[in-house]
Amino acid sequence: MAIHVKEVHKKYQSGEVQIHALRDATLEIPDHKIVAILGPSGSGKSTLLNVIGGIDRYDSGSILIAGQQLETLKDHQLTDFRRKYAGFIFQQYNLIPALTVQENVEVGKELSERPLDMEDILTKVGMWDKREKFPFQLSGGEQQRVAIARALIKNPEFLLCDEPTGALDEETGKKILALLKYVNETYGTTVLIITHNQGIGEMAHKVIKMSSGEIVESIDHEHPIDPEKVTWS
Amino acid sequence: MILRKTIFRTIKEKKFQYAGVIVLLVLAVMLYVSLSMAISTLEERNNAFTDEYKQESFHLVAGQDLETQQMEEWERAYDVTLEKRFSKDVELGEESTLRLFTITEDVNRPYIGEGSMPKTGEIAVAEVFATENEIELGDSVDIGGEPLKVSGFVYLPDYIYMIKRQTDLLNNPEQFGIGITNERTLDNLGGAKQVQLLGWTENGKIPDGIQTEISQEVPVLQFVSSGENARIQFVESEIEGSQTLITTLPLFILALSIAMVLMLMKRRLELQRKEIGTLMALGYRKKELRNHYLGYAWFIGLTGTGLGLLAGAGFSVPLSNIYADFFNLPPLSMFDWDPMILVIGLLIPLALLLALTAFVISRTLRTEPLTLLRPKEMASGKKSWLEKLPFMNRGSFTTKFRLRLLARNKARSLYIFIGVMFSTVLLLFGFIAFHSMERLVTTTYEDIQTYDYAVYYSTLQTEQTEEGASPFSMAEITVGEDTKANLYGIQPDTSYIQLKSDEETLNPELSEGAVISRPLAIITGATAGDELTITNGISENELTVEIAGVADLFIGNALYLPKDQVNEFLGYPQEAYTAVWQDGEPQMSDRVFLVEDKQEVIDSFESTSGATRNTVAGMAVVAVVIGMIVLTLLTNLIVEENSPSISLFKVMGYHENEVSKLVLNVYTPLVILSYFLSVPIAQMSLEQTMNTLVEETGFLFPTDVVWWMVVVGFLTIVFTYWMSLMLSKRKLKHVSLQEALKKQQD
Ligand SMILES: Nc1ncnc2c1ncn2[C@@H]1O[C@H](COP(=O)(O)OP(=O)(O)OP(=O)(O)O)[C@@H](O)[C@H]1O
Ligand SMILES: [Mg+2]
Repeated sequence: MAIHVKEVHKKYQSGEVQIHALRDATLEIPDHKIVAILGPSGSGKSTLLNVIGGIDRYDSGSILIAGQQLETLKDHQLTDFRRKYAGFIFQQYNLIPALTVQENVEVGKELSERPLDMEDILTKVGMWDKREKFPFQLSGGEQQRVAIARALIKNPEFLLCDEPTGALDEETGKKILALLKYVNETYGTTVLIITHNQGIGEMAHKVIKMSSGEIVESIDHEHPIDPEKVTWS
Repeated sequence: MILRKTIFRTIKEKKFQYAGVIVLLVLAVMLYVSLSMAISTLEERNNAFTDEYKQESFHLVAGQDLETQQMEEWERAYDVTLEKRFSKDVELGEESTLRLFTITEDVNRPYIGEGSMPKTGEIAVAEVFATENEIELGDSVDIGGEPLKVSGFVYLPDYIYMIKRQTDLLNNPEQFGIGITNERTLDNLGGAKQVQLLGWTENGKIPDGIQTEISQEVPVLQFVSSGENARIQFVESEIEGSQTLITTLPLFILALSIAMVLMLMKRRLELQRKEIGTLMALGYRKKELRNHYLGYAWFIGLTGTGLGLLAGAGFSVPLSNIYADFFNLPPLSMFDWDPMILVIGLLIPLALLLALTAFVISRTLRTEPLTLLRPKEMASGKKSWLEKLPFMNRGSFTTKFRLRLLARNKARSLYIFIGVMFSTVLLLFGFIAFHSMERLVTTTYEDIQTYDYAVYYSTLQTEQTEEGASPFSMAEITVGEDTKANLYGIQPDTSYIQLKSDEETLNPELSEGAVISRPLAIITGATAGDELTITNGISENELTVEIAGVADLFIGNALYLPKDQVNEFLGYPQEAYTAVWQDGEPQMSDRVFLVEDKQEVIDSFESTSGATRNTVAGMAVVAVVIGMIVLTLLTNLIVEENSPSISLFKVMGYHENEVSKLVLNVYTPLVILSYFLSVPIAQMSLEQTMNTLVEETGFLFPTDVVWWMVVVGFLTIVFTYWMSLMLSKRKLKHVSLQEALKKQQD
């Protein structure tokens, strides 16, 4: 299910100054692909991801996903849209501290009418053995795996990852990237990855570069490289 | 929902905080349920007994026997049911008096609780009296040398509150009780027989003119309407008076506990902002999240009200038993209490808790998920208006820090203030109640009434009183429009009554005008210098007197004037009197209508002071528990919220004591301030309550605050505060640097 973003504008009023966070953003994201969004800080990457994921609104333009025009949806319809199609992964993992690994994933599972198998997912992310542990007993990389499992188990159409490796070292970061690639290949999930890390672009099918709220470049890779071989920066 | 697990885990982790609010809720529900159940039992039984057993609308004491034919005429003329009843006061053993009545059929019908109606040679007595005097069913008791068999336990509708004299404040079933027997048995006993005429009307009102007409035919020694009959009225004023207590006290505690729950909820939502944002981003609907967070309220509400109902139901049993000792009411109905109490006790707190929690939650849920996901603007970003005040930025760092802490936690400070105030008021209520019994006894019965016996005669006396006795005239009068009072004509130089106000004796002032009792002063609103118009019910004479002073007499509406003036007003001969005060034990004779033994009165006070002590102790415990919970909860939250600063101080090298001084002791002046403000509030509100009740009860509890109350109260509150600080200090110890770093990272 492709994502069509057309002439989207988004402004923030911050005191006296107006910030143009998205400026005429137009973009096509094909199905089952990995897309990397690159750009300097403040260029509007997160804003783009958030409007696509339906946790933020935009001022004008249109976004069409699965036959739904996001700007026409009411708040509760937007919630249902997220519930059905989107999976979010955050830099800070945002697990629920009072729940174990498995229970955290369960939180995602309950949202879906046709969830994937718990054991299968936890085994794939390599956390099945630690399913009884609480988040504070896990490393950052492990927590991010759980977050991915939580997003994944409801079998979403696309995964929206805002700097998923931002808080991780190279080795762990690469493992997470490999996992995302694996997810993309196994379940056909479209994966959007925001990153500061130029190298990560190399593993994506498509790289979108942003600057000052504008999409300045869009590159397609015929043969994305293996996450292991990404140049880490 | 899997999220539900987080509720139980959070509650387990913060068990003290949640247990605290639950205990508050339990207290509120328990108090409401137990008091309501006990009172509604009392009310139902009273109503049933009054209606089914034809409680009198009035009664009179006649100076001679009444003709049946005469009574029938009155019945027809005034549309009233009249019945004659005889009574005798007989001695039982050394100490106790049994008032035996003949059995009636139309008015004040006796109810036999156990055993059977007495036949000739038998009596039935009040059950409490039997218990206190170790009399069992079937026992034979010796009355004036006559052995009489106890055939049953009896309840009389006009002796629900079993007091010997109308003016008695407290009952004492050990010393005084009632019984019934048939006329023949009564006649066989020695002593004077009293004739009573009992009247019953459909609407409970006294037919106009009946009193005047009867008094033209027979001498009426006393005429008492059910409204002024303490034996009937006392239970009603108890029911009415308790209504305020039943609702106000639990409502207050409920409000406090809900405020605490909301505070915990707000704190929880604050801590879980990110979680909520994440869940929203994942696709959880607002309704689902609201229901999830309402889970906390459900848990607290159901546990609190459930335990409260159980405890309340359990507690109502001993409470009802206390009432049963006071009021002689037969268990007429199966379901004595109103089942609505349980519904209200369960639903009101639960509904309030859920509705208000839902409101607090909805405020957070209205926030966009993105906003929730972003770290909250640091509180330091926004200055509270208090911090903008100039003095906030003066002084040393520690002063500034403390002032800021106070300013930022306005709600917390307010709750600490209210919590301390509530505990103080409750504590002082207990102290005052405790003290006022003592004060009432000492001033009324030791300082003012210095006689040992008061002897009331059934007819006017003119002969010279014995040496050491002081004669006085007494009559019932109406003050102003419709306030009933007792008029005492006393010899101003008597030593048997010292009308004192504080330390000053007002007896010499009698030449200037009347001295009145405190209840009368409050009901009429009159003070020294004002004028009162009094009328004599029988002769319709009118007299306007100036008030010379208000004496510290706390019981009854009484007005004192010199005897000569009273005799003139009543139309008595100059030398006449109706009663005497004396120290020696009086001789019983036919002329004597009633003897008041003051020691007996004092004893009955002493015997009930045990109950008061327990009540006071109970109130003090409740006050301390509430204070402790509220203070601990608040100081705990303050430590929790300030843990980043606290760990920073620790890292900087501050010792724990210094940190706790910095963070926790901020509230000490607030606690002290609240305490000293609460003392006059407690005193005034109790005085106000007593003043409104005086019209119904006819007595006034002195509400003076004495120094020891202030000191003991202060020590108790400070101790409570200190305990809560101790509990929170333990928490302070566990605040680590790591935690601070983690928080900053989020
Ligand atoms: N809630 C907001 N209010 C005001 N301005 C905002 C808000 N959110 C984002 N902005 C501004 O919009 C612009 C785009 O922000 P965005 O978060 O999309 O950048 P980004 O590319 O994700 O940056 P980074 O790499 O630092 O995460 C920035 O200039 C930012 O300051
Ligand atoms: Mg960003």
